[in-house]
Amino acid sequence: MKEFDELEKSLRRLKPRPPDEKFVARIESALGDAGNLAIRCLPEEESAASMPSPSSSSSSFFRPLLFFTGALGAGLAAVWIFFANFSPSPVPEPAGRIALLGSHPDVPLAGDPSDDPDSPLHGVSLSELPPYSGMPVSGWSDPQVNERFLRMVDEGLIDRPGRLPARQVRHYFMDETIWSHPASDLRILSTTPREEVILIELEAY
Amino acid sequence: MSTDPMNSEPIWKSWFARHGAKLLLFARQQSRRPDEAEDLLQEAFVRIWRLYGHTGEVSPGLVYRAIRRLAIDWARSIDRRQAREDKVALDSPMSLGFERSLEEDERNQALLRAVERLPAEQKEVLTLKIWGELTFDEIARTLEESLNTVASRYRYALQKLKEWVPEELEGQPGTSGASR
Repeated sequence: MKEFDELEKSLRRLKPRPPDEKFVARIESALGDAGNLAIRCLPEEESAASMPSPSSSSSSFFRPLLFFTGALGAGLAAVWIFFANFSPSPVPEPAGRIALLGSHPDVPLAGDPSDDPDSPLHGVSLSELPPYSGMPVSGWSDPQVNERFLRMVDEGLIDRPGRLPARQVRHYFMDETIWSHPASDLRILSTTPREEVILIELEAY
Repeated sequence: MSTDPMNSEPIWKSWFARHGAKLLLFARQQSRRPDEAEDLLQEAFVRIWRLYGHTGEVSPGLVYRAIRRLAIDWARSIDRRQAREDKVALDSPMSLGFERSLEEDERNQALLRAVERLPAEQKEVLTLKIWGELTFDEIARTLEESLNTVASRYRYALQKLKEWVPEELEGQPGTSGASR
């Protein structure tokens, strides 16, 4: 409809008057809790419906870290399997332990490692942990905890005996904890998925 | 609190700042009375936001549809019908719905007067298309008409405006409320 282009442009130049503040306040009051429903929006680059893009700068920062964390986890699992499968008793045989630690000449041989309650690793004492894992034990900053909203699923209406029906909405979050060790510039990222169910009471008309 | 991390405003307020003006214009057109238009928009918006607001983004088309259905319901009630009949003494609702500075322009005033003369069914299509920024498909669903019908009404409306605006500028308006 090219013949009307000019006319359409003229019409579009007319701007509808925005609602006044008094009216907005009225709506706010009428909305009540529905206006304050807990929901967060992600920044533009992070879609609420998807995980961060592999090409994003933040993920490129965490990719080696995640790889390192995974590799470390696999290594620790291997240690656990070694002790679980090759030790005839719950307390590892000295020979086995010596054989294992033998590949790490700097590891000091402390007392019985299984007795160390402060060590996060069964079979490795706290004093053995730094050289063995390649990670420092002290000097870690307080962990940084982030909560990321991933997506929302509307699960429809539910009946509640003796109460008003409600709309059930499930929110999916990813809780991230980042530990950082400033001295060695080491960071560890841990992620935990979490769900929240919200019931929105509906009014009967 | 339902807030946008980039600013501390609740999400519905940002949404309403984006769509409120055009929804109010449509509500004015459906109700023909400014005071009723706000009630209509409030009722429609609150109903829709309570149902879908948790998503953080609601299609404006849903609110347009709710406004229209409510306007029809309200028009059926005796009290509201009486109020509708009283509307004759009010100023032109279209001109009330636009920013004042623009009304001062002679051509814009003529344009608004010409829009005002359009039959209601053409005016609502024009409003939804031009200021509501809906597609013909969305307009068809909002008005519960076929796609061809709304597209035709839009075209007829533009044809009439093209003819009437020069008349209005010359101060020789044709028959008010003329239909196609």
